[in-house]
Amino acid sequence: MLLLSILVITPVLALEIVTHPQVIDNNLTKSQLRRIYTMRQVNWSDNSAITVFVLPSQHVLHQRFAKERLQIFPYQLNRIWHKLTYSGLGVAPTTVQSEEELIQAVIKTPGAIGYIDTPSLQKLIAKEKDDKVTLTQVVSQENTVMDSKQKERGKGVVNVVKIKD
Amino acid sequence: MLSKLKTNAAVEVLSKVNNLFPSINLAVNIKAMFLVAMGLTSNLAYAKETNSTSGSQNFQLHGFLSQGLIDVDGSDFVNDDGELSAELTEIGLNASYKINNRFRLAGQVVYLDGGNRYAQGARVDYALLDWSAYSDDNWQANIYLGRFKNNHWLYSSSRDIPFARPSIILPQSVYFDGFRDIAVGSDGIASKISYSSDEYGDFDWQISYGTSPISDEQTKNILSEYAQGTAEQDYDSQTSLYWRPAFSSWRFGMSLLEAGFTYDQSAQDFFYDADFVFQFYTLNALYEGELWEFSGEVYQQRFTIDGFYFPGFNLDNVGQGFYLQSRYKLTDKMTLLVRYEDFYLDKDDKDGKELEESTGGQVPYYFGFHKDVTLGLNYDITSNFSARMEYHWVKGAGRLTPVVAPNPQINNSEDWQMWAIQLMYWF
Repeated sequence: MLLLSILVITPVLALEIVTHPQVIDNNLTKSQLRRIYTMRQVNWSDNSAITVFVLPSQHVLHQRFAKERLQIFPYQLNRIWHKLTYSGLGVAPTTVQSEEELIQAVIKTPGAIGYIDTPSLQKLIAKEKDDKVTLTQVVSQENTVMDSKQKERGKGVVNVVKIKD
Repeated sequence: MLSKLKTNAAVEVLSKVNNLFPSINLAVNIKAMFLVAMGLTSNLAYAKETNSTSGSQNFQLHGFLSQGLIDVDGSDFVNDDGELSAELTEIGLNASYKINNRFRLAGQVVYLDGGNRYAQGARVDYALLDWSAYSDDNWQANIYLGRFKNNHWLYSSSRDIPFARPSIILPQSVYFDGFRDIAVGSDGIASKISYSSDEYGDFDWQISYGTSPISDEQTKNILSEYAQGTAEQDYDSQTSLYWRPAFSSWRFGMSLLEAGFTYDQSAQDFFYDADFVFQFYTLNALYEGELWEFSGEVYQQRFTIDGFYFPGFNLDNVGQGFYLQSRYKLTDKMTLLVRYEDFYLDKDDKDGKELEESTGGQVPYYFGFHKDVTLGLNYDITSNFSARMEYHWVKGAGRLTPVVAPNPQINNSEDWQMWAIQLMYWF
């Protein structure tokens, strides 16, 4: 429900920033997002660790995310991350090969943050809705179970983060 | 389960790497490494797909493989015979394990073959405990204990990482391969304090203190092939400050270094006990635009010798230099590089004439400087596979080994050139 209402309110954007459902920070400023992706902010506000996921640097969605959302060129991000990874200074984001893998990683990893393009997110929500229908049909005989499962699912599979200037 | 799977993969690869290094056949080495790496990445991908728990991100494994060809005409920079050489191999494997939110273990093993440029073989590049002492939205403070990399100059931490540095051969004035093993890092303690905000931008302040072991081969490379005694580094203290103004394409930095060395003569030696002090100061700037990139470092070094040639001998030498570099993105995948560097060993003897006179003509004037014009091209084939080629026009022999007792027989010309191509893969 929360997930859907956010989508209705926000104007349709080409891509969305998503986090694991348990991440408590639902709003981030643009600079916070930059700090997270340049590994200068490594914990969420409740002090839990942030796990950053990205697509390969030549992926179209990654290039758009870097330029539009972070206002950093992809090659600059590569440099920062390579320096951390290969000089022992720190940990860089985890690269996954496809959008599907990225969203699965965000869903499964507590503290995760990633990005997704809007049509894929809508598909995911639609799928989630279908799942709920199926779920409802399957468990319709056991009312109590249905109620609790629906509540649990109502949180959404991912959080969509609002980015403020 | 996942981390166990990955750990097993790491152990397997490490043991394979260890077995590979002593083998002589380079081509076999490289091929095997590629296979291991490919297998490894698919293992990791499989691991990620099958399971992804909270612990899965705590262990990370990365590495790189690169092989090139280099041809030097007119100096012994890479080899003595001037033939085309495949001595341009860089292989690395690193692991990072996050124990908890405060502590992390990290280490990297590299295998390097650069001909005469540095000692061939495998080495522990870094092996450290990273303590995240403080962290909030704006501040981060980390303490590193163990063997850490020099992170103070523009490309000092990425000098062995082919795809993370701008060219195959870096400006030798700052990143002199003859000093590589001493300059690349230290065993000791380092700290990094970072501050980041919208008002003031990004600051990174680093301090390090430690020592580097010096092999007999290095002693001979740097001092003289006739040095029979042992050289030791007593200390290496460095600090640097980098600042990127808020939302700026520019970044500025400065660094200071002082290192002390002692030489203990052996019973039968041409040389005497000595103390050496090396100081090095740099200022640097970097501009990163969408198509254009500019960077440069200006520096001064001071080298003092007390003893060595005879007891009581004193030398106090100030050298200077700079390089300017520009990169231009021709397309999304292709980048052009142009660089000019100018370095002289003695700021009061820029043309090396005094050097030649003081040695009675034994050391020609052109050993007093090093100037290099570089033209390069980088092509990013995929997100982690690149090809690179470059050409260097060099004037002077001031950055060839051995340093103290040069070899003018092989290096008999002021002008020399080299070209190189390199393929790089990383994961």
